[in-house]
Amino acid sequence: MTETKPHPEAGAPTSAPRARAGARSGLRRRVELKSVGEVGALIVIIIVFAVLNPGTFATLKNFQTILDQASLPLIVGVGATMVILMGSIDLSVEGVMGAAGMTFVLLSANSRDTVDLGFFAVIVAIGVGMALGLLSGLIHTRIKVPSFIVTLGVWYIGLGVATLLFGEAAIPTLNSESLKLWPSRLTLGLPRSFLLALALIILGILITRFTRLGRYTYAIGNNEAIARDNGVPVARYKVYVFVLAGAASALAGVVGSMQLGTGSVTVGIGTLFLTIAAVVIGGTSLGGGKGGITRTVLGVLLLTTLNNGLILSGVSPNIQSAVSGAVLIAAIVAAAWPYRSRLRIVK
Amino acid sequence: MTTTDQPSPVTATAPALEVENVTKSFGPVQALKGVSFRIARNEVVGLIGENGAGKSTLLKILTGVHQPDSGVIRLSGETVRFRRPQDAVANGIGVVHQEQSLLTNLSVAENIAMNAVSSKDQAIRFGVYRWRKLNEEAAEVLNRVGSSIDPRTIVSNLSFINRQMVEVARALRVDEVTHTTPVVILDEPTSVLERNETEVLEREIRRLKDIGSVIFVSHRLDEVLRICDRVEVLRHGELVAHRNTDSVSEDELFHLMIGQDSRAKRHSRDKGGHRPEPVLAVRDLTRKGAFRNVSFEVVPRHTVAIVGSIGSGREELCRAIFGTEPFHSGSLLVEGKQVRSWSMREAIGRGFGYVPSERRVEGMVGGLTAAENLTLTHPGKSRAGLVLKRRARNDIAKEWFERLDVRPRNPGLRLERFSGGNQQKVVMAKWLTAENLKVLILDHPLRGLDPGAMETVAAQIRAASDAGTGVVLLADTLEEAIEMGDEILVMRDGEVTARYDLSVEAPTAVDLLAKMV
Repeated sequence: MTETKPHPEAGAPTSAPRARAGARSGLRRRVELKSVGEVGALIVIIIVFAVLNPGTFATLKNFQTILDQASLPLIVGVGATMVILMGSIDLSVEGVMGAAGMTFVLLSANSRDTVDLGFFAVIVAIGVGMALGLLSGLIHTRIKVPSFIVTLGVWYIGLGVATLLFGEAAIPTLNSESLKLWPSRLTLGLPRSFLLALALIILGILITRFTRLGRYTYAIGNNEAIARDNGVPVARYKVYVFVLAGAASALAGVVGSMQLGTGSVTVGIGTLFLTIAAVVIGGTSLGGGKGGITRTVLGVLLLTTLNNGLILSGVSPNIQSAVSGAVLIAAIVAAAWPYRSRLRIVK
Repeated sequence: MTTTDQPSPVTATAPALEVENVTKSFGPVQALKGVSFRIARNEVVGLIGENGAGKSTLLKILTGVHQPDSGVIRLSGETVRFRRPQDAVANGIGVVHQEQSLLTNLSVAENIAMNAVSSKDQAIRFGVYRWRKLNEEAAEVLNRVGSSIDPRTIVSNLSFINRQMVEVARALRVDEVTHTTPVVILDEPTSVLERNETEVLEREIRRLKDIGSVIFVSHRLDEVLRICDRVEVLRHGELVAHRNTDSVSEDELFHLMIGQDSRAKRHSRDKGGHRPEPVLAVRDLTRKGAFRNVSFEVVPRHTVAIVGSIGSGREELCRAIFGTEPFHSGSLLVEGKQVRSWSMREAIGRGFGYVPSERRVEGMVGGLTAAENLTLTHPGKSRAGLVLKRRARNDIAKEWFERLDVRPRNPGLRLERFSGGNQQKVVMAKWLTAENLKVLILDHPLRGLDPGAMETVAAQIRAASDAGTGVVLLADTLEEAIEMGDEILVMRDGEVTARYDLSVEAPTAVDLLAKMV
């Protein structure tokens, strides 16, 4: 019968309820304020690289390249953010991308077989991703295995499926040039891959703010037991979110395969780190319940811009990953600074 | 609707809630041994009992968290069966949990909507939230309990009293579903509140009477007497008595609850003889941002009570003294000698003990057995070199279980399975087993305990004190500080603003409060 929450102290005068003051736009304003740091960092990075690389960094062409590069982690990030908001984690991203990407290539017009489902190839590929997400979600909730372990396994299941599809014949390449070029084509001055990501981001924001699925995601992340007592079907909604994340990863796999023009088991390589780092740098708590997709977008843009700027500045790609890692740690330290003394174990 | 003072309804309508012969066991532990009672419409019934008496189990059965082994529950004459918490809600039983059950990262309106039965809910259609409607509905619900909280506020920004009001408002909402008199269960709603906040809540509970029936569970007997029409007393899984509140005294209730006369008198302040040498002297201790230049002495057989509001720095001070948090300047003198490097390990070695306020987080290892927890810090005879001796350990644990009346008397059970009061007893015992306990630092040791457990724990603190331990106490209430302290330090914003030697003058709570703010 203990209470685990902080308490007002003995005989303390009642702190005036802060409820009334400024509650009107409380939610929105606070989110904006908390993101100021990330926006500031992004601006600083852009200015620094623009000064370091006059004429190459701050060009329309380069910004288009950055947005194109950002599209995969952005697409994956929508799902990953929701999973992390729930207090779980999805490590299966790269496996799902591989399996879905391979499915897409083999079902489109390619050098290997004669099957061509056209747009339906995308649907089937996303279906593969959702199936893998469903697998993660079900094992996590039914058998009560931590999501960390389950999705680690599903990652390799996904890679296995992709390898099986890849087989031992020649590398399958996409026949259609227009399909290969689709992601980098510009519409309204923006690469289509980014527009697709943008559409998904908007969808994700709508889901997290205005639907039961989204709100329950926050509820579960805050406290699973309390959410359950409040009538939230925790297991079911967890599965939904994992399926959603699987679909997002699959879509990223499809776009990635188009960019490559060939089927590749490792189409997703590097995406997992980039995405999770972006979610955390954006400020979504790994403990769940706090954060949101808008922040992840900032995180992705921050890291992608950083990588791009480092390349343009002539930094060896070998050092790049070290820099990304250092940025990640620095961001986490900065974000968790006030809570250092009471950092609790992440689910 | 009119309210009736008649406890047993002879009216034509069936009682709002009827419980008949409900039993429940958890393994070998029989938590409820055939409980029967009925609650009339618009009646406020108090339910009291010691920790472990079965209150929680009974409430969990009424709210659908547990299912009874046998027995019947009837609502307005109809037999009901709850398989899930939602079933209880759908049948018009609302509950305000002892531990807050709000999701702190969501808005008030969302929390209120969360528990509602969805089909009735216009604000959420096909899984899509219509925020305007949702907020309007929430404001309406809050209005019924006389609260003007903005429904858009995030719960973590609310004070505790306001959170509690949200819970009450939400619990009341069940009548929208059933269109009958709701039964609202309040499980120790005041245990986290300040005195003046409690008054607000009391007023609201009395108002609830007009809307529905109320089961009110509390440790504070005075409160029960003020609020309730009738009291049911639960002891060892049985209802042993029921009384009308206009014909019973606090003392009588206490005796009914405990089943024995054990209320101890306020301990004598006469320590006799000269003042012994201080076992611990704190000199100008400073931790930037927490406390500044704090000095005091801890003397064997004496208790120093430190009072202060949030941000006074007294918790940080205690942790610094125990070596779990650093300090920047000043010194600690243990038995007259200045300590050089200070750490928790050092502190324990010198005979310090610390009972933290958040025992679940800081004070215990829930996954270990009670016996293991008890011997964790001072293994005594239960360890020989690197080898732990299970039998010796259990002997030690058995002895302390007996001495502190820990229930159930099974030291082999994992500590997390005990009730809060019994957990606290074990956490206390962990330090009391030390042979050379010199300084015992207690951070809210009586918080959330029922009167029986409170008495046992307080008695142990006194016993340790009498045996020569110096006690540093952060009390729950000013009254507790005045009752148990020999010296009182008042802190505000990290500084000591006043000190009282109670053998000379006893301050009133108002005196203390004046120095705190």
